[in-house]
Amino acid sequence: MAAVSFDNIKKSFGKVKIIHGISFDISDGEFVVLVGPSGCGKSTLLRMLAGLEDISGGEISIDGQVINDLDSKDRDIAMVFQSYALYPHMTVRDNMAFSLKLRRASAAITNQRVGDAASILNLEPLLDRYPRELSGGQRQRVAMGRAIVRDPKVFLFDEPLSNLDAKLRVAMRAEIKALHQRLKTTTVYVTHDQIEAMTMADRIVVMRDGIIEQIGTPLELFDYPGNLFVAQFIGSPAMNVLEGRLRVAEGRAWVEAHGHHWPVDAWIPAEDGHSVAYGVRPTDIRVSSTGTGIPAKVIVVEPTGAETELLLEVGDARLVVVMHGRTPARPDDVIHLEVASNKAHLFDSVTGSRLGTSL
Amino acid sequence: MSRSALKVATTEAKLLLIGIPVLIWTLLPLYHMVLFALSPRDQATTGKLWPKNPTLSNFDFVLNQKHFYLDHFWIQLWNSLLIAVSVGVLTLFVSTCAAFAISRLKVRGGRTVMNMALFTYFIPAAFLAVPMYKTMGNYGLLNSQWALILAMVTIASPYCIWVLKQASDKLPWELDEAAKMDGATAMQLFRLVYLPLMVPSLVAVGTYALLLAWNEYLYAFLLLSKDTSLTLAVALGNFLSADDSPWELLMTTGLIYAMPPAAIYYTFKRYMVSGLTAGAVKS
Repeated sequence: MAAVSFDNIKKSFGKVKIIHGISFDISDGEFVVLVGPSGCGKSTLLRMLAGLEDISGGEISIDGQVINDLDSKDRDIAMVFQSYALYPHMTVRDNMAFSLKLRRASAAITNQRVGDAASILNLEPLLDRYPRELSGGQRQRVAMGRAIVRDPKVFLFDEPLSNLDAKLRVAMRAEIKALHQRLKTTTVYVTHDQIEAMTMADRIVVMRDGIIEQIGTPLELFDYPGNLFVAQFIGSPAMNVLEGRLRVAEGRAWVEAHGHHWPVDAWIPAEDGHSVAYGVRPTDIRVSSTGTGIPAKVIVVEPTGAETELLLEVGDARLVVVMHGRTPARPDDVIHLEVASNKAHLFDSVTGSRLGTSL
Repeated sequence: MSRSALKVATTEAKLLLIGIPVLIWTLLPLYHMVLFALSPRDQATTGKLWPKNPTLSNFDFVLNQKHFYLDHFWIQLWNSLLIAVSVGVLTLFVSTCAAFAISRLKVRGGRTVMNMALFTYFIPAAFLAVPMYKTMGNYGLLNSQWALILAMVTIASPYCIWVLKQASDKLPWELDEAAKMDGATAMQLFRLVYLPLMVPSLVAVGTYALLLAWNEYLYAFLLLSKDTSLTLAVALGNFLSADDSPWELLMTTGLIYAMPPAAIYYTFKRYMVSGLTAGAVKS
């Protein structure tokens, strides 16, 4: 187990700069997820930590030791690849034992380690099979087994679930999380799927275009997104954002957007007339039963059983509302919406950064 | 008969219409060779479809070296085998290392080496025979079988490197990275991951080089001169130096000479299967 530290990490391929000076620390035993849209540099960052990419600038250290110039094999890191990367000519057992074989571990230790990993991952019946004889989920588990056997300081996962179907992905998500709770090994996990990030991470690092947009626990990011990008990236369905103008008068504040008044907390640190982006999560909008509130036209009703997702039109803006239970509303009906002022998020229209309550 | 079945039958008929003449065309010379080999000397050229009294005495002549052209039959067959196997093994070694370095280790200048190697094929090997002779002379290798072995390795390698590089490029890159993470050095990666996965291509390339050397005439003729160091291919050519060549013995020897390649081909055919990397990565 180990702490990992990134200090002003930069990466460029030729003249193209991919990562522009990233710094953050990962504590011992922490499960950190790097998340962001494709091309944001998250995989590159992970590969630099793994030693598969050169570091163009800055320092990465594990337990205080700078590892920039260490070979992958000397970093004591294990990695699970998106494509599994199992050795096709070796059985599951040999795949898992490969790293120990290279380290000339004794047969007894090898058998014990492989056996332990196999029992953790329920791979015992598959030990003598070849990768081609396994299903996608099983291959993924073997890839994890190969990492566990090493008992490394840090686990790296590079989008390990993106090749699995939706159902299996959810199951493997839980398995990886359970594994981490059991082994408590420092883990860095890369994904573009914000739900994976939310469900698995101790802390999430949201990246875009080679910089960090925000670091925080899943709920911190959800409740207090530091900027518009994070606000819209984290959460599903994505946060509704309306462009409008802040109004402050007589100790009250609201946002004027699309012809309506949207409530906000009174102590927003911005002046009357400031142009803002008004954000509210689909789950934070209530459909009023009394007929008061902001009128909205129903465009689409999508029942998912426990919840109903409504696509609505307010003025010329579109909103998504997720309501518990079911609704008699039909397309073209007009319903009324209520937003609690403390659920609203305000962002500066120009800079995109959060106004008001933050952490 | 349904429409689709009729269509299949028509397609097959067309293919057979092309295939059967091609097959006959290919087999006819072989048939003649067998015919010669089984005919007594005086009936070899009668033009009959089957000899009146077929005989195996020609084989007796060849195998027991009973003709002065065949004085060194066994040693020459052995020479052919030794040279062909050496060329196969050496070419494999050279081209596998080259392909691994160029394709997997991405050494600097690898592309240039590839291109230069392929460029050598713009010049027909026959044109290079005399320069090669001169070169071997400079190294004092003339009359040594090493001359032929080295020459054949030189000729076979570029193509083999190219084929192996193409095959290497298809191996999933993640395997190398996984091995690297697992702690493998470049040599371990080569030995434990790369080679096992390349077996089908290696067999194909090795067989190619081996057969190329086995069938070579021109270079063998130029670079070797002592009767006991000749390959059988050159010795066969010497049959034609007389006015009345023993055709039936030439053909018998030729038939025997054609056996090992056929055997090699059928032995290794089953190794030349694709799909060995199935299951490595999701694709």
